[in-house]
Amino acid sequence: MSNALSVVIIVVALLAAAYSAVTAVRNRAMGWGDLAALGVLEVLLVVQAVVGFVKLSAGEGPGDSATFIGYLLAILVIPVAGAGWGLLERSRWGPGVIVVAGLSVAVMIERMRQIWTGTVG
Amino acid sequence: MAERTTPTGPAGPSAPGTGSGPGRMLVAVYAVFALAAGCRAGVQIATRFDEAPVAYALSAVAAAVYVLATVALARGGRTSRRVAVAACSVELAGVLVVGTLSLADPAAFPDATVWSAYGRGYGFVPLVLPVIGLWWLWRTGRRAARA
Repeated sequence: MSNALSVVIIVVALLAAAYSAVTAVRNRAMGWGDLAALGVLEVLLVVQAVVGFVKLSAGEGPGDSATFIGYLLAILVIPVAGAGWGLLERSRWGPGVIVVAGLSVAVMIERMRQIWTGTVG
Repeated sequence: MAERTTPTGPAGPSAPGTGSGPGRMLVAVYAVFALAAGCRAGVQIATRFDEAPVAYALSAVAAAVYVLATVALARGGRTSRRVAVAACSVELAGVLVVGTLSLADPAAFPDATVWSAYGRGYGFVPLVLPVIGLWWLWRTGRRAARA
């Protein structure tokens, strides 16, 4: 797991959450801005998954690699689900869901960092 | 992108959506927990069930309850509503009982579950979530009764 990359992902996830929070407060449905932020986030997560698997196959990483792989793959679903929901719910609560998605990604990345460095099992 | 109104479903007058409007945020948080708890329980049981069978079985139960609550809240019909109330109540009871036991008898829980120490490992969200869920069900239920 790349330290710089995970910091970038956390920052982007929080920015996406903040942007969508503004959309929700302004009482707008999800727009292109929210969607673009999720798109950038998803691309970064795919890059992270590739980097993660390359590093794991090179023998780096935590003893408990199963949990780490679980997170690595599960996290890919979240921005996509957030975008789908934003398209379905054409009210302020669409971006509301994206706020949840962004915060969840940030928290999960932090948890993955802990697993990677072996702070938690 | 078509406009979408409150889903009432073809099966007759269901209570207005527990899964629409602000409820979507609640369902989203539940979905994340269902995903996280489910993956975690799956890995724990597949790789080292014999190390802490009680904790891992509990993780699996917790994951199942989260999945149930997510689906029931998202559907929001009359039956789903009852299922959601039951699921949220089981969660609340679970987090209180397991939280208390994990503090009183740490030896019985060599590895953490979602509900250990009242969900401290997850920012106490497991403790808050069922309360919000039950409140939301109660609120939408009252709105349904008035309509």
